[in-house]
Amino acid sequence: MNQNPDLLTLRSVSKSYGTVAVLHDIDLSIRDGEFLTVLGPSGSGKTTVLRLIGGLEPLTTGDIRLDGQDISRMPINKRPFNTVFQDYALFPHMTVSGNVGYGLSVRHVQRKEIARRVAEALELVQLGRFADRFPAQLSGGQRQRVALARALICRPRLILLDEPLAALDLELRRQMQEFLKSIQREIKTTFLFVTHDQEEAIGMADRICVMQAGHIRQLGTPHELYYKPNCEFVARFFGENNLVAGKLGPVQGEQRPIETALGRLICSITDQPHLKAAPEGASAFAAFRPEALHLADATDGDNRFSGIIADLAFAGSSTVATIKAGADNAAQRLRLRTPSRIGGSALRSGETVALSFAPHEGHLVLA
Amino acid sequence: MNALPRPSTIFLAAITTLVAVLLYSPLFVPIVSSFFTISHGDVDWSSPTLSTYRALAENHDILTALRTTLIVGLCTVVLSVVSGTLLALYYHGRRSGRSILQFIIFLPFLMPPIISGLALLIFFREIGLERSLLTVVIGHTVFVLAIVYRTVLMRLQSMSRTLVEASYDLGATGWQTFWRIILPNLSSAMVGAAILAFALSFDETMITILVTGTQSTLPVRLWAMMRLGFSPDINALVALILMFTVLLCVLAARFLIPRQMATERS
Ligand SMILES: Nc1ncnc2c1ncn2[C@@H]1O[C@H](COP(=O)(O)OP(=O)(O)O)[C@@H](O)[C@H]1O
Ligand SMILES: [Mg+2]
Repeated sequence: MNQNPDLLTLRSVSKSYGTVAVLHDIDLSIRDGEFLTVLGPSGSGKTTVLRLIGGLEPLTTGDIRLDGQDISRMPINKRPFNTVFQDYALFPHMTVSGNVGYGLSVRHVQRKEIARRVAEALELVQLGRFADRFPAQLSGGQRQRVALARALICRPRLILLDEPLAALDLELRRQMQEFLKSIQREIKTTFLFVTHDQEEAIGMADRICVMQAGHIRQLGTPHELYYKPNCEFVARFFGENNLVAGKLGPVQGEQRPIETALGRLICSITDQPHLKAAPEGASAFAAFRPEALHLADATDGDNRFSGIIADLAFAGSSTVATIKAGADNAAQRLRLRTPSRIGGSALRSGETVALSFAPHEGHLVLA
Repeated sequence: MNALPRPSTIFLAAITTLVAVLLYSPLFVPIVSSFFTISHGDVDWSSPTLSTYRALAENHDILTALRTTLIVGLCTVVLSVVSGTLLALYYHGRRSGRSILQFIIFLPFLMPPIISGLALLIFFREIGLERSLLTVVIGHTVFVLAIVYRTVLMRLQSMSRTLVEASYDLGATGWQTFWRIILPNLSSAMVGAAILAFALSFDETMITILVTGTQSTLPVRLWAMMRLGFSPDINALVALILMFTVLLCVLAARFLIPRQMATERS
């Protein structure tokens, strides 16, 4: 994966509508063949990024390069990208095969060739039987697949998908996630997939680009984002997390302590040079996942503190405890997640317990 | 479904029926009476006959007027649908100047016809255009343009903007997008607008009287006949026009109901 060259590069791209800036100085490289997900809350500028790449909106500043060539001014119908629109944008007056073949027929490809490739594309999305239906006669999931077939028939270098699954119900969404992923592997095309759903992002992406308020906050594999978030926003947005505020202590090799209301917590800073460089006394958070927190036993030396179990919730495969810790066992709210056991949990609501997490499972984010 | 108690429903139904009968029954009197002869000012109900229709078919004045009306109607339809569609396309998505344009387009439709007619008459005289069928066609076009423009614009606005974007995205040129995506999605609105425009042109009287030359359209002809007294073939004529207009309106409604709804029902 890492050897793949960059397909598309955005360099200091910004976008304003009138005086309102919606994207600020975005730098982003998309690798050839990857499934890159843009994740962010609604209004963070995800659609705008997609529209700039697709050529539906002009850039305010910066440039977009395809294989190193500046394409910022290339008209939309010349760009070798195709979009799956959020509302699918199927042409209501054309049949499924008319829709799918449109991209070829406007390029004056021969009729026979069009028919062959339409059949092939419909086969790929498993809609062969529906070739002569009109969009109004299809279900949401089927329309979705027509839109996908229509986008990939021209063999684009990059397929842009704007929250394509948002309108589907949960079960269908799961199926479509797997389906999209398998198609992407089969046709080996780069996908740029926009979503506001972090579970969807974790499940599908090779890499995730987290956006907030028109900025890219972090770009990395789901694993990197989960275990090494580089800012408070990502740490809170991406999966459940415990964040405890404090002041940084002196660097100790690959670890660094932080003085918090729970006492001194030692966290890992492996591969995070900016945390090594941060001055002593700087405000930061210790961050550790609910599944990293556990009842302390005699072997746990570091990161020990006590708390009261305020609430226990059975959530199927796991059980989640809400814990109050810190001064008077009230200042800090934490979550602890353990696998559920048939005999019930060892935890009791209202109990005071000793808790701990391993230093290598804690990390730091600057405030 | 029915929130009202039963007695008030019955009461409401009775009132509605009464109002409907009072308002609309005059429309059916000519149809019925066109099949009977009138003698001594009374309708002779005993023997239905087609004689009024026969008399109508032999009335050359009326037949000529009918032909004129059809010619004017067709020319008006072509002119107003083409220019109304172009205006709608041009001003769709354009903020500046649109409200002024709409105001101007709607003015002749909303003003009393006699004012519109007089304004046109003065205009034609100023520019030295002889009164003829051409001036009638221009007058009718100015009159019905608002309907065509509004109908097409509404369809354009209900069309998802992403359809056009998707077309470009798939590699189509602006021209291809127009012919293959925009126009097909407008066509039923354009047909509906054409039918409405024709129906409006068909019975337009006031403007026509003012701007026509020597030729009369059907309503103008009728107007003239009425002044000379009531003849039975007028009954037949009114009945025919009434049925024709109803047919047109049913057709127009068919085309103006969005396609989506039509398919969902079937
Ligand atoms: N055409 C536009 N004119 C003005 N503001 C816009 C326009 N399109 C988007 N915006 C603004 O840009 C911001 C980002 O929008 P968008 O890219 O659609 O976000 P997302 O897709 O992440 O929900 C929003 O605050 C939105 O209001
Ligand atoms: Mg969006």
